[in-house]
Amino acid sequence: MPRYELALILKTMQRPETAATLRRTVETLMERGAVVRNLENLGEKLLPYKMAKHNQSHTRGTYFLLDFYAAPSILNRLLDHLHRDVDVVRSTVLRKDPEVSNSNCCGPKS
Amino acid sequence: MSCAGLRSLTSSSGVHRKDDMMVKMENPYKEPQRGCVLCSVSVDFKNTQLLSQFVSPHTGRIYGRHITGLCGRKQKEVSKAIKKAQSLGFMAVTHKHPQFMKDPNICGIRHLE
Repeated sequence: MPRYELALILKTMQRPETAATLRRTVETLMERGAVVRNLENLGEKLLPYKMAKHNQSHTRGTYFLLDFYAAPSILNRLLDHLHRDVDVVRSTVLRKDPEVSNSNCCGPKS
Repeated sequence: MSCAGLRSLTSSSGVHRKDDMMVKMENPYKEPQRGCVLCSVSVDFKNTQLLSQFVSPHTGRIYGRHITGLCGRKQKEVSKAIKKAQSLGFMAVTHKHPQFMKDPNICGIRHLE
């Protein structure tokens, strides 16, 4: 199965609520047959620009990065589900391709 | 009269001796190929600090190839990563993050003070 990465920005909330939102998201993924590989917390930061979502203007947010393996057919419904979640400010799924080696880039061949 | 003499001189001077000919070899004075700054560095949309070095501090615009000095491949990668980070909400669009203003200047651009 191809490997995807979900860049998730959640609203600034208390720890138990953030945990509940993450749990919900991961459970949704697993229900649709995805295999979660890794979940990284990039911390709570000031957003680079104000984002308006679900009738609210957000200036701060918590960044998460979720690696998973999934079938391509579930992505549409998954994104739809994430867009409807009130606690999620921005969600994007990216495909994670195997890294291209830098060996044929210009420069001294090491 | 002199032309005939010259012609005969050239044919008998023995230009075709083996040890005098140029030996075919690679240019010994060739300089090693220098790579661009990011040759051994992998570009990712997550490290906004690296990407912010290629962006103007005043307007947040991406610098062109003639300013950054990157090779074709890396310039494209950086440009794509910047656009991706901006769309995902990782990097600012209209300005450069103030935290990264003190970073060393790798693009050869000098700003008005």
